Amino acid sequence: MNMPNFKRILIYSILGLSLTSCHKDDPIPEPETDSGKIKFTFTHLVDGLPLEQDTMKYTNAAGNNYCINELKYFISDVTLHKSDGTTKLIDDWKDICYVDSDIPATLTWEVYDPIPVGTYDSVSFTFGICEAKNISMMFVNPPEVNMMWPGVLGGGYHYMMINGVWKNTTNVDEIFNFHLGIGQLYKSDSINNTDSIYAFVQNYFNVKLPNSSFVIEKDKTRQIEIIMNIESWFETPHVYDHNYWGGAIMQNQPAMQMVKENGSDVFTTGIIQ
Amino acid sequence: MKRSAILLIGLIALTLSVKAQINTDTIKLTPIEIRDSILKKIPYVLTNIQKDQIDGEAIRDVGDYLRSIPNVSGVRKGGVAVDPVVRGFKFSQLNVILDNGVKVENGCPNRMDPVSSHVEAEDIENIEVIKGPFMLKYGPALGGVINLVSEKPHPYEKFEIHAEALYGFETNWDGQKEHLLVYGGNKKIYFLLTGAIRDYGNYQSGNSDGHDTTFNASFRKYGYGAKLGYSPKKNHSILISYNEIHGRNVLYPALPMDEKSDDTRMIALDYNATDLSAVIKSLDLKIYYSDVDHLMDNSQRANWASKQMVSDVDALNIGGRAELGMQVKKHKIFLGLDYENIYKDGARTMTMLMMGTTTTKVTNLWKDARIQNIGLFAEYKTLLSSFEIDAALRLDYNHANSADTLKLIKSDIEYFNDVSTQFINFSISMGVTKEITDGLYVSLALGRGTRSPNMLERFIKLMPVGYDNFDYLGDPQLKPEKNNEVDLTFKYSNDKIGNFYLNGFYSYVQDYISGVMLPSSVVTPQTSGSLGVKQFVNMKSVGFTGAEFGYTSPEKYRLGGSMVAAYTYGYTPTVTKYIVTGSNVTGDTILKNDALSEIPPLETTVSIYYKFLKGKLVPKISARIVADQRHVSEAFYEPYTPGFALLNFSVKYNIIKYVSVSGGINNIFDRSYYEHLNRKIIGTSGKLYEPGRVFYITVNVKI
Repeated sequence: MNMPNFKRILIYSILGLSLTSCHKDDPIPEPETDSGKIKFTFTHLVDGLPLEQDTMKYTNAAGNNYCINELKYFISDVTLHKSDGTTKLIDDWKDICYVDSDIPATLTWEVYDPIPVGTYDSVSFTFGICEAKNISMMFVNPPEVNMMWPGVLGGGYHYMMINGVWKNTTNVDEIFNFHLGIGQLYKSDSINNTDSIYAFVQNYFNVKLPNSSFVIEKDKTRQIEIIMNIESWFETPHVYDHNYWGGAIMQNQPAMQMVKENGSDVFTTGIIQ
Repeated sequence: MKRSAILLIGLIALTLSVKAQINTDTIKLTPIEIRDSILKKIPYVLTNIQKDQIDGEAIRDVGDYLRSIPNVSGVRKGGVAVDPVVRGFKFSQLNVILDNGVKVENGCPNRMDPVSSHVEAEDIENIEVIKGPFMLKYGPALGGVINLVSEKPHPYEKFEIHAEALYGFETNWDGQKEHLLVYGGNKKIYFLLTGAIRDYGNYQSGNSDGHDTTFNASFRKYGYGAKLGYSPKKNHSILISYNEIHGRNVLYPALPMDEKSDDTRMIALDYNATDLSAVIKSLDLKIYYSDVDHLMDNSQRANWASKQMVSDVDALNIGGRAELGMQVKKHKIFLGLDYENIYKDGARTMTMLMMGTTTTKVTNLWKDARIQNIGLFAEYKTLLSSFEIDAALRLDYNHANSADTLKLIKSDIEYFNDVSTQFINFSISMGVTKEITDGLYVSLALGRGTRSPNMLERFIKLMPVGYDNFDYLGDPQLKPEKNNEVDLTFKYSNDKIGNFYLNGFYSYVQDYISGVMLPSSVVTPQTSGSLGVKQFVNMKSVGFTGAEFGYTSPEKYRLGGSMVAAYTYGYTPTVTKYIVTGSNVTGDTILKNDALSEIPPLETTVSIYYKFLKGKLVPKISARIVADQRHVSEAFYEPYTPGFALLNFSVKYNIIKYVSVSGGINNIFDRSYYEHLNRKIIGTSGKLYEPGRVFYITVNVKI
């Protein structure tokens, strides 16, 4: 083989390699729609004032003096509603949001999802986690992992923990764990007999924020303040008395049912900007 | 120490009882000898390391030693089992084989046991490192081939028996290694028995920054093996090999679990024939079976009290190859086929102990997963005028399947669903070498290597197998990666001034397999400390380019030395960066020409030695200088790594024909440093440091 032939082979080889490198199945990008962003902030009030933890300064509707040491909860499946009936479910990246009064970073949720521009009538969400998504051991890292709900009691995670102290009828400080999660129905009278559990009750509930209409503008971020009015957990429609229900209610479905029903008006809308 | 003393005494006794002969009349039939004669003017970069270069070095495993080769680095996760990286290509992008074709499927998803950890460094006869997708005869090769060839028995004219024993000790780790080798035979039957133990403690990093840190990286490894050869007639040989390697309580501070036990068994049968006819010059047949039982847990970690993780994996690789070597005048042709069948099965049991109750979850890591690959290959070598030509072709059929039941589908996007795939992959390489003037050669090599995704990339379920703190999820529908590479190499050899080489390369990799974050609404991590989940994906393309330089002085002078320098630059034309605020992903942006992650920085090593006593006593001093790595991936939030300089000293002394001693000091100035590829300590953002100053000594007795 002479030199020109060899060069030709070399050139064809390079060309051959280049051609086999071409790629023709690149996806056609979808047309982009105008969108903005949304950010939620979480505020916790008692009787209209910011929560002050570790201070025995509050009195509930049942007359219990109490203080709150910890407040943590999940909301999920946040949905934005338009007047034409269409909705935008926030779940592109994250669909379960953990809020902890002791962890400032959890008090703000900058949502990943692009939100189509337009006017929205309201915001709703699930307080807690729905049955299909509340799967044991889906969280392995703190702080969410600390919300684990024992498997024998239904598994998954607490929807909410409000931990604190109240003064009982003898004016002695007593710890309360005002917890909400999956409830249990027992065959026997004793809740200690977990073998007698014959059914579980999903206690998550839907919340529709009042006065939560807003507008999303292109490339702008709308901030919505979600307020939890903590005193409301203990009143309307039921007056919740710590002296009656005691400190621990994880295995007390009637108590959790009352909490669930009281939760319907706990949340209000704060500043939208 | 006591065991070592017994071992040495035993060996001396053996010396006295056996009439030893120096094997000047050995007949070597191994395929490597045949290939070497035609590899001298290869058009790509091949590094060949012989046993005497490894003996006496303070190395814990083969991967550790490989890092001394230019443009070869390693991923360190603990005290041992450094995973080799060649020009930024790693894991299955490299075809790492034992004994010219034996493959081992690592049991650990975190690669506690890369292939290079399944052979004792002291059992190595030679190591070949081929950079680029050029050598295709050992299986699909994307970024290179590492061929670890262990010592084999060979026939003798008359019956002989020999033995070698090695004892090594390293400070810092208080590490001891012992190795015993007995071999011999006659013209027809010959054998080799080997055994090794390696017991190392935790090590301390250097204290040049004012404080040292102790890393829990202790380990115990032991292994043994036997090889029996038979030559039924001249130029024909059969070899059966059996090896076991075991690991116990091997700690990996940069991984979420430690190796409780690893039991690897390998058996191989080789048939080799040479000069069968005027045309057929060689025939090599090989079948092998390798089995890895790997058990790991977090029982030595602080979180064991609240969260217990135990993973048990069984990995099998069964295969073989046949190669026919022919020569017609100046044309050499090698034809063959190979087959491998990889099976993997294993699960992780996770137990949470919280609120007085225990919750247990069993997740399969692999579920009866299987990959079968059958390949046809051909190599052609010839001389055309003054040009030496090398060409290779390879065609692979690859089929994968698994009994996985995981379905991960959201909004019509299938993240994990259909587990069966099959591919036909084509690889090709071609190179030419020309002698321009006396001793100066220039080579050009072009290659396209294709490899199918591996077990991990296809099927792994939520394990932190990357360099970042993310759990990874496989994608059964990944496409094969293709590396299109060009290498230009200059070599100059001169009796008086030494040997030089300079190489430059460019790789354009299509369907590069990397990781992309998945939304927490799709899947959440299962490992404590993981920030989220990434799934293996094909990126459209990435590029690697780099250069390396090497010089060695002529052997004939007393004063000599060497110098190597290497650099690789990796980039991706476009990549999505997810913007993380606090613990939330709040948006994404497209980056142009971002750096590829885990690419080693520029480094150079200069060594100088002097031969005393006619070469019996050789002290050597070497300096290794590594630059900062600032070209880091922004999309992957990869931190930069500061540069460092190390000074090492070693001396080898062949006291008598049968006894040699070597020793030295590594990291003389007790420098506190870490390599760019070292993994982070689990649960922190800090890297795993390399050992501080180490004094070592190795005694070698051969009879």
